[in-house]
Amino acid sequence: MGKYRTAMIEVRNLSQTFVSPKGSFRALEDVNLSIPDHDFIAIIGRSGAGKSTFLRTLNGLLIPSEGSVVVGATDITQLSKRALQKYRCKVGFIFQQFNLVNRLSVLDNVLHGRLGYLPTWRGLLGLYTEHDYEVARAQLARLDLSTKENARVDSLSGGQMQRVAIARAMAQEPALILADEPAANLDPVLSEEVMRTLRGFNAEQGVTVVINIHALDLALEYAKRIIAFKRGRLVFDGRPAELSDALVDDIYERKEMLA
Amino acid sequence: MIAIVLYVLSGIAIALLSGIAKGSMRRLWLGAAVGLLIAFVAFPFSRSLGNLTRETVNPTLLALATDFPWLFGLPVLLILTLLIARRGGPRGAWTAVVTGVATLLAGLVFYSQPVHLVRLAPINGLMELLTALVLLGAIGLAAWNRPRLRWPLLAVGLVAGVLAFFWLNSSQGGHTYLPNSAGYYKLLRPTPAGANLQLVDAYNAGLQARNQVAKENGLALAEPIQSLADLKGKIPAEAANQGYRMLQPSRLQYGAFAVFVLAGLMLGAGLLHLRNLRLEETGDLQAGVVLASVFSLLLPAFNATEFNPAKLVKGWPFLVQFGQKAWPPLLADPSTNRFPLQEVLSFMTITVEIALVGTFIAALVALPTSFLAARNLTGASPWMRGVFYFTRAFYNVDRGIDTLILALILVAAVGLGPFAGVLAMAIHSVADLGKLYSEAIENVDKGPIEALESTGTAGVNVLRWAILPQVLPLLVSYTVYRFEINFRVSIILGFVGAGGIGFFIQGAMAAGQYDQMIIGVIAIVIVVNLIDFASSYLRSRLV
Ligand SMILES: Nc1ncnc2c1ncn2[C@@H]1O[C@H](COP(=O)(O)OP(=O)(O)O)[C@@H](O)[C@H]1O
Ligand SMILES: [Mg+2]
Repeated sequence: MGKYRTAMIEVRNLSQTFVSPKGSFRALEDVNLSIPDHDFIAIIGRSGAGKSTFLRTLNGLLIPSEGSVVVGATDITQLSKRALQKYRCKVGFIFQQFNLVNRLSVLDNVLHGRLGYLPTWRGLLGLYTEHDYEVARAQLARLDLSTKENARVDSLSGGQMQRVAIARAMAQEPALILADEPAANLDPVLSEEVMRTLRGFNAEQGVTVVINIHALDLALEYAKRIIAFKRGRLVFDGRPAELSDALVDDIYERKEMLA
Repeated sequence: MIAIVLYVLSGIAIALLSGIAKGSMRRLWLGAAVGLLIAFVAFPFSRSLGNLTRETVNPTLLALATDFPWLFGLPVLLILTLLIARRGGPRGAWTAVVTGVATLLAGLVFYSQPVHLVRLAPINGLMELLTALVLLGAIGLAAWNRPRLRWPLLAVGLVAGVLAFFWLNSSQGGHTYLPNSAGYYKLLRPTPAGANLQLVDAYNAGLQARNQVAKENGLALAEPIQSLADLKGKIPAEAANQGYRMLQPSRLQYGAFAVFVLAGLMLGAGLLHLRNLRLEETGDLQAGVVLASVFSLLLPAFNATEFNPAKLVKGWPFLVQFGQKAWPPLLADPSTNRFPLQEVLSFMTITVEIALVGTFIAALVALPTSFLAARNLTGASPWMRGVFYFTRAFYNVDRGIDTLILALILVAAVGLGPFAGVLAMAIHSVADLGKLYSEAIENVDKGPIEALESTGTAGVNVLRWAILPQVLPLLVSYTVYRFEINFRVSIILGFVGAGGIGFFIQGAMAAGQYDQMIIGVIAIVIVVNLIDFASSYLRSRLV
């Protein structure tokens, strides 16, 4: 468990404003939150509530307009490009669209998780170390993809692709995994499988998991803690059991529809 | 006269053919009316001569109208036709018939006018004004799509237009560089009574002095004249300098072709429209304007390119002779130690090799630079943006300089031979390949880029592992396609001495060895097709 130890993440007064030619849009509004080590958080909310925006801020894919994201002692919103890359090595990100490089093999894609640890020139030549191969193969075995190692990604099914993406994130040996609707493109059985895998990482290796999720039932079943966004504001933060039906209706703005 | 009848009949024939296909007749006569308006102001109708060939002025109908004021009736009628046409129905068709007949008559009446003296009245500043207006119009168009910049841009356009006008219209400015633009559009004015006699007298008075000079130079002496007609259409040099010209109404130019064909078309289409009033559609005016525009672009172009099937008829015997000499091909003649087939084969090999090396070097340079020309990779800093615009600008300039032109220059620099050709090809192809490459890079799926960035991968490795695998098949495919084009370019390179089969063909042609040249031609046909086939096969396997 030791190797996955990290510091607590403190999100303070986080706001995000998108400015476009049509005007500006406030996607996150004064969000405060702390994420302790080994937590398993599910973020719920309607489409457009700001879930993805929040998740992207946590690994520096987006720089917030205001506020800070403090990991340990450093505020990652202030980091230089290099330092940010170093931080990201330890943060795995899983996308709804998998975002794999389709023309490459499964193994190549998983090895991409190791690129951040390699010197640039070795990366360019694809000269991974023995250790990199071990880590990658271990993750493939764990996700039951060993036989597909040399297959091209575009020959895989959706469920297999998402497992490759998870293997890539895990090959980073991350302290934190961020998953943005990882199961939204999968059928219910595969969705459960993805959730179980993530819970396994959390339970066995102590990886902190923050996951955006549509399906409320999956969130309630797998997460230790639920966070809800409504129009950019944090409106709930607590254990699944504390989430009442009335709150859920409010989060999903379902009142009028029921009436 | 026969020509005029033919023109009118062909106009009517177009209307008839289109009528058989139940095409809209209103569209045709509307197009004809617009075309006639354009012809009236812009196409030369007949000819007026000065003393020297370059003093010839070909006036438009508008220019002639100041000599024959009744010609002003034509545009009035045409505009009236356009106005009435908006309603459609029999009234429009009738107007078309009437206008068609009137145009025809006007043309004929003008045609039968006697040769007579006129005087030029240049409209100063007209071309300069038009150029300035085009500039203003272009900026105005650009301004229209940018609501926020609309008024500032229009103001800039106005200032630029005014400045352009004054510069173009000044003797130190435009008239130094574009001397023809000064008073380019010339109206013809009637001459005052007695001008003819004055010119004759002046000519005869100066005769003795001119003959003196002619005698000293051993030239033929000139006789005194009774009237200007004795000069056979020309006029004395002094008269030409004073702006006199001898108008020859019956020497028709392409504008007359346009007027008579369109008059016939208008008449025919109008009559058919009267017979069947349903032959009109919505959007006839737009379609008519489009037809008229295409016609007005093509006609001067045909005239400028001296398109003339009669020349082909005259040149036919040469073609026959060429065919007889070229066949059968002379593959080898051991008695004179000549082996054309072998020569063609080795020239063909070098032609392919030029294309191979040229394309390869171009790809090598285009690959790294195309990343700098991709919009999606260069947004990070103003500095990168600068590199982006620089690379794009380089590509755009380079694309404009054709391989053949580069080869001409490089042959002068590095000498005759394939090296000049390879260099020229490489330099030009960099731009084409680079532009295609960078567009491929701009269209990559952003997902993998984001995924690699979020694993902490450094910039170049994101290029290497997220972008390159995505675009590589496309890049290879573009390169193969470029090779295919470059092979065809490399055939021509020989003509400027930059190596390859073109050199052989040019030599054989110049020496009249058509039976050897034909081997080269056949070889080209075969290899072009082989390479096209191989290239499309390869490309279909790639993407
Ligand atoms: N780069 C961007 N530019 C402008 N608006 C954005 C951008 N990213 C997201 N948004 C807007 O911010 C809001 C929140 O988006 P997002 O975080 O993706 O919501 P969720 O993931 O909860 O569906 C949406 O209305 C979206 O349109
Ligand atoms: Mg989202």
